[in-house]
Amino acid sequence: MKNLITIGLPSKGRLREGAIHFFRKNNYELTSNGGERNYFAKFEDYPNIKIIYLHAKEIIQRLGDDTLDVGISGLDLLNESTTNLKKKIEVKKKLDFGLANVVIAIPNDWIDVQTVADLEEVSFDFRDKKNTRFRVATKYPNLTNNFLVSKGVTQYKLVPSLGATETYPFIGSSEIITDITSTGKTLKDNNLRILKDGLILKSQACVLYSKKKAAKLQPFLNSLK
Amino acid sequence: MKSKNYSESIIKVFKKDGFVLSEPDVLLDSDYIIERSGENFRKIMLTFEDDAGKSMCLRPDLTVASCIKYLKDNSKANSKIYYSGQAYRKSQSLNKVINYQLGLEIFGSKNKSIDDLKVLKTITNSINKIKIKNISIKVGDVSLFKQLIESLKIPERWRMRLKRHFWRPQYFEDLLDRLETNSDVDPSTVELDKEKFFKMKNIDQNKEIANRKVSEIISRFDRKIRDPRSFKENKKTVKIIKDFLKINCQLNKLEKTLNNFIRKNQLNKNVFKDLTSLKSLAKFNSKMIFSTNFGRDIEYYSGVVFEIYNSSKKEIARGGRYDGLLKNLGSKTNISAVGAAINLNNLKI
Repeated sequence: MKNLITIGLPSKGRLREGAIHFFRKNNYELTSNGGERNYFAKFEDYPNIKIIYLHAKEIIQRLGDDTLDVGISGLDLLNESTTNLKKKIEVKKKLDFGLANVVIAIPNDWIDVQTVADLEEVSFDFRDKKNTRFRVATKYPNLTNNFLVSKGVTQYKLVPSLGATETYPFIGSSEIITDITSTGKTLKDNNLRILKDGLILKSQACVLYSKKKAAKLQPFLNSLK
Repeated sequence: MKSKNYSESIIKVFKKDGFVLSEPDVLLDSDYIIERSGENFRKIMLTFEDDAGKSMCLRPDLTVASCIKYLKDNSKANSKIYYSGQAYRKSQSLNKVINYQLGLEIFGSKNKSIDDLKVLKTITNSINKIKIKNISIKVGDVSLFKQLIESLKIPERWRMRLKRHFWRPQYFEDLLDRLETNSDVDPSTVELDKEKFFKMKNIDQNKEIANRKVSEIISRFDRKIRDPRSFKENKKTVKIIKDFLKINCQLNKLEKTLNNFIRKNQLNKNVFKDLTSLKSLAKFNSKMIFSTNFGRDIEYYSGVVFEIYNSSKKEIARGGRYDGLLKNLGSKTNISAVGAAINLNNLKI
């Protein structure tokens, strides 16, 4: 179909609910929320718009390879992606849901470490004493690297984590972590605390679109308030 | 003269001066380099995974690759080596990915000033040999900065911090701003943590929390809160450091310039203990320019550093002393070293 617009929506959780609500507010009513096994949906009265439910991370990837024209996903995931991918995607609008911070968290009992400057000092001590670098577990290697290096911390290595990152310092898999948190409760419950100046990124859900398709998408994007 | 002929002429000079060919590995273990040099190195490394899932990289730097080979050969290899080959680094511009280098290193250097001079002499002789005229040389010595910092009245944690980050000029400026405003300890948070401090004093001091002993944590906390919180001298200290970093003079006038700096800032007469190496370099070439702010872009340099430029001010060679690198790369003992490399990419005129 000519002028077909393909939109990627997060397939689960609060991002999915927020995205559906956002479109409803803009008079785009879904014909189906997508069943458990149905990844496709449509907006009522807009036969030229196709909706696909995908993992929030996948939405960024698919905007980059032009499978999607528009998508809703987190700013954290966009900023974490490679420079090449980021170049292809534009943020149309930041939304008022999916609010969360990517932060550095350390064991609560490391009372001598309040700031990133302390962490930098401890990292050198650690290397001198143990002849190895301290480990940072994270789902955000790029954001973590850029942040730590910009703050003068170089003596560390990353441990990629896929989930339950909060447990890493206490099971011997890393010394500290970076993670996303909305209230800080999970970190606190797991005996971790956020460094005073350890905010890496303030994240939120965003309407994103493929730069390449900008001209074709303008009327639709302009209809979103 | 073509690149190949350049190499042959340069290698002849290296050999004549007693350097022996070393062929460092092209493929290196990425984890080993990251473990030893930090995550920062990862940004420039060209890496891939082998079939077994092991992360490998193309050598990003021939000095590092030569050191790794020297250590792998159990230090039995010749300690005066030269190499000729390519180093590979990620770069936005494609013609900077492959760097063809011809270089030499002296490992286990016993007489530092003789070896510093030897490296500079061999490199300049080889540049003369390929008939590049009107070269200019710039010299620095990162150890002078460390000596200055040792002589200043500042808390130990600041001393360490400034020394560690001297090689990162932009971040270093941020540090000076923070030193001036004394904004690295937050008294309100310290008060909160004091309660915990007293509790932790009474538990098993050998207990480890995320790989750090309780004793280590509380002793660092104690040390930190005892550091002077407001020191009047801060502004003065920052001014001295900034003044020092402005020193730029002919190398043979360095001693006089440093003495003026010491007098002006009322510092101890013996701040700069050892200028032997720089003095012997000055005798070799009186036109060299010395700058305190020079040689700050590579972490592993620890003493004399130099760069050689052609008549259009393009860098054609650089080198320096790196006494800590071999230990960082896994040597059990300190092995002092000095080396230099000619960048053949910039010789193509």
